[in-house]
Amino acid sequence: MRARAPITGFMARHPRLSQLATIALFLLVWEITARFFVDKMFLSPPSRVYSEIDRVLNTKGLMQALTLTLYELSAAFVIAVAIGMAIGLSVGLNAFARRCFMPIILLLYGIPQIVILPLFILGLGIGPPSKIAFGVTHGIFPIILAIVAGVQNLKPVLLTSARSMGANRWHVLRYVVLPHMMPSFFSGLRLGMTGVLLGVLLAELYVSTAGIGYFTGLFTQNFDPTRLLGLISILAAMAIALNEFMRTVERRFSRWRGND
Amino acid sequence: MQKQDISVQIQNVSHSFGVEGHAKHVRALLDTTMDIHRGELLALIGPSGCGKSTLLNVIGGILSPTTGGASVNGKPVNGPMPHDIAYVFQENALFPWNTIIENIRLGMLFQGVPKADHEGRARAALKAVGLSEFADHYPGQLSGGMRQRAALARALSLDTPVVLMDEPFGALDEQTRMVLGEDLSELLSRTGKTIIFVTHSLGEAVFLADRIAVFTARPGRIKEVIPVDEPHPRKASFMTSDKFNGLRNRLFELLHDEIRKTVNLRSGSTGGF
Repeated sequence: MRARAPITGFMARHPRLSQLATIALFLLVWEITARFFVDKMFLSPPSRVYSEIDRVLNTKGLMQALTLTLYELSAAFVIAVAIGMAIGLSVGLNAFARRCFMPIILLLYGIPQIVILPLFILGLGIGPPSKIAFGVTHGIFPIILAIVAGVQNLKPVLLTSARSMGANRWHVLRYVVLPHMMPSFFSGLRLGMTGVLLGVLLAELYVSTAGIGYFTGLFTQNFDPTRLLGLISILAAMAIALNEFMRTVERRFSRWRGND
Repeated sequence: MQKQDISVQIQNVSHSFGVEGHAKHVRALLDTTMDIHRGELLALIGPSGCGKSTLLNVIGGILSPTTGGASVNGKPVNGPMPHDIAYVFQENALFPWNTIIENIRLGMLFQGVPKADHEGRARAALKAVGLSEFADHYPGQLSGGMRQRAALARALSLDTPVVLMDEPFGALDEQTRMVLGEDLSELLSRTGKTIIFVTHSLGEAVFLADRIAVFTARPGRIKEVIPVDEPHPRKASFMTSDKFNGLRNRLFELLHDEIRKTVNLRSGSTGGF
């Protein structure tokens, strides 16, 4: 093979640096495009979004909207995890339940839920309950699937071995099944979080008088991309922070994996 | 032979997998009877699919036989008997998310050993297999041979009179097996446990066992039991002795026809070459 150019070799040895460079390049392209090529009614450059972020935060009612959305998100997430775990474990641990219910679950997961959003609004009104419910139905499926999959690929010899040493059902669940499914449980949680975010924001965008979705709609209709992108940046920052938090917890539970 | 000297009794054990008359019905084990003495090392050897592992699982209470039964220390086997029997499996059966010492402690927790004894017994077992320095490693950080040693330590820590081993070194390379075999002979001669182990290796069987039960092709029966009259612990020099080679050749003759049968059976069932 030919010797690589020195810059490529240097970047290859520093993935973190290449990562930052990619982001910087993206921001640069965005900046140039927004400044010179696109109508400023449709797109704002990142420098302007950043310098005018306080204009977003000072928008009347926006802080309440942020709080409300956060409340809807956390409520939906907690419910999705609780129900998802109960369903995932009972379906995953029982061969009969799995064969009976898994096809139904997959079928339901395959339906684009947006088409039944109006039903949620009809049944639960335009307030937070319909948003929470819609967030739950989006977040719960990845969690169920991750738990079922996580319980599935447990090596049978580990179960046999535990039983041969006298493990009872609780022991098996606590010391074999749960630690085994931890990694997939956490990826389920992260996917579930993404699902919940999607569900809640979709429902807010569809119809609402409050919440983040209301304001994204409002800023778009007012041709105010600066504030729209500012709001999106705040949301993205929140999502990234949550995701990073989950990854930290996940690493704590999967120390053994790094050594495989 | 005194009744008290019998550790494991196997009586008319037969086992079939699947439903009778069905295409997938397989008779794995046929009417096997045998007594295993206290402190004895018994090797089960035979063609693949002859029911050696099935018999081991019946003794261990992991499988209940179609007919017949086993008893351990006079108690009939109806399920796992964690206080009488410890298992070393062929595959790595350590919990990958626990360190080696956590694995050993967990076994004792399952078995019901008082918490206060866990640490001391776990350390002693690790020392016995020479893994003291690796107590806090995860199984993924150890070599295959070390993992099987750790599994052996876990079995020893349970302090059972009987240990069952299903091809414990099956996945290891020959050199590692040889060294582990020597260590095992040395270790087990000290503990005085009753050991039943399944193996595919003729040399391993002769080197470790007091008696070798040779199985026929499926449906498996015990064809012959060969005694190996050599005191434990056995030294590496035993492996090059005429006695060793004589026994090994004898085993080879006994097994050769049986293995031929299974191979022919298989190529026949797929329509031949």
